[in-house]
Amino acid sequence: MQPEAVELVVFAAVALVVALMVAQPAASRRALLVRGGVGLAGTGAIVAVPTFDLALLVLLVLALLHSVVDAKRSFAARLRLPAMGVGLLALAIVFARALGPDVLDRFAAVGLAAGLAAVVGVLPYVHSFDAEEPASSSPIAWLAYVGPAVAVVVVADAQGLLGADAGAAFSACLLGLGLINMVWGSVASWLTETTSAAWRYSFMADWGLALCGFGITLVDGRRAALIVLFSIVLGRLPLYLASREAVRERVVTERPINLLVAAALAGSAPFAGFSARVLLLRGATQLYWPLALVLALGMLLWLPASLRLGRSLGVPRGRHALGVAAVLALNVAVGLYPLPLLAAARL
Amino acid sequence: MVEGAGGFLAWLGASLVVLSDGRRGLALGVLLAGAGIALVSLSTAGLVGALALALGGVVAAAGRLVSGPPGWAIMPAGSTPRLVLCLASGIAALWVGLGVTNGDGASLRFAVLATVGLAGARALGSADTATVLTAAAVLALAVGGAAGLGGQSPYAAPYLLGAAIAAASSWIPIRTPQIPTKSEDPRPGPRSGSVSGSP
Repeated sequence: MQPEAVELVVFAAVALVVALMVAQPAASRRALLVRGGVGLAGTGAIVAVPTFDLALLVLLVLALLHSVVDAKRSFAARLRLPAMGVGLLALAIVFARALGPDVLDRFAAVGLAAGLAAVVGVLPYVHSFDAEEPASSSPIAWLAYVGPAVAVVVVADAQGLLGADAGAAFSACLLGLGLINMVWGSVASWLTETTSAAWRYSFMADWGLALCGFGITLVDGRRAALIVLFSIVLGRLPLYLASREAVRERVVTERPINLLVAAALAGSAPFAGFSARVLLLRGATQLYWPLALVLALGMLLWLPASLRLGRSLGVPRGRHALGVAAVLALNVAVGLYPLPLLAAARL
Repeated sequence: MVEGAGGFLAWLGASLVVLSDGRRGLALGVLLAGAGIALVSLSTAGLVGALALALGGVVAAAGRLVSGPPGWAIMPAGSTPRLVLCLASGIAALWVGLGVTNGDGASLRFAVLATVGLAGARALGSADTATVLTAAAVLALAVGGAAGLGGQSPYAAPYLLGAAIAAASSWIPIRTPQIPTKSEDPRPGPRSGSVSGSP
């Protein structure tokens, strides 16, 4: 088992507890607990199974289960892209295991990167989204709950499946996908009409950073990716859940808490996103300095979108305020001292 | 010879799933695909694994026979692109499985490439629940069979799990999505101080 992946499953468990704290009505909390528990068990199984084939099959089970829960979108719309992701990953296995010319390994690299993007729901395979859908049955479950552990499993297994040349092609694919998602996600999050959609695009932008981290094959890249995934699971996801009520009622506030949340979402110091960005820039500079320049320019795009999302949180009260405070405190702790997190993942 | 026939059956079954819109056609497709994948997996999965895959296909076919659009509906009007897809994917899988790659298990490579490609395309292209579930069943059988690509698999679990997913997917009860009408929309109007649209 990958220690990084195990850590992400633990983060998902904590995120479920925080989600239960910030969820509004009691009935929805019960449904959230059941769905979140099933999702957590499935994610744990993906991490725990001994072979990649089994992980793909568990992923397909999870996709089927996620598609049958009550939602606004049709069953086919919900199953389509995760199933296609499993198919692409299966094709990648065929190419990686077959004996033949080296170009087959490169096809495998492309299949692994594309399959990962399709399962998670980032560009170019963005899942359809309905703002009125519960978070547990929306694409956010793939982006922020199941996806991070799946990404770590796919990247780790890719290292075993691909040779050095194809491994470089895989890294290049991840970097390309990462840069596209960074720019598209942050610009769309800033300019899109509805606030719910803006939240969804902001997850994609964060995924761009994580994919770039995985693409930078140095240890700093892996560290950055882990911290970005932490900030998705235990930062952006709980804040998104806490903001849903205010977004639905179209409440916009500009209190200090909103600015604080905006800073956390933008990856400012001292939050976790800042240390991830520093590690990412350091890794990119070691690998190829113009890449660091592009990443630094891309990171500036987070600011306007984060200010918008921070304002959409409203003024949290009671249990909500407690949940938001816990999330911000966790992110500050990891931002100031990420070493225990990285040591637990053996990075 | 047996493996070659299995590969052809797997492609034919997946093609039927692509070409059919009715429950009978879909059921026959998943049955043939399951039987084909079981035949090509016999040497790597062993008797238990191959039987599990075949049984998964049979149960999936039985489940599909009792739900979904009625009739066969094989190659309804406008299905020429689907027919071209089936032929093209078969030729491409044959070329990659036999010509580009080498080593043992050419039939398994062909079967997995063809069925995964066709099932993925069907899942992407259809909006009908029964069709997408049948495609998912074929995909599960193919991913289960793919476990034998690296030689004899030490675990029977991928075959058993693939078969179980295929068998269960055809029996999943699907509820129609709830689309609220305008009068049922629970959202209140904008509050004071609120903004909508772009900042």
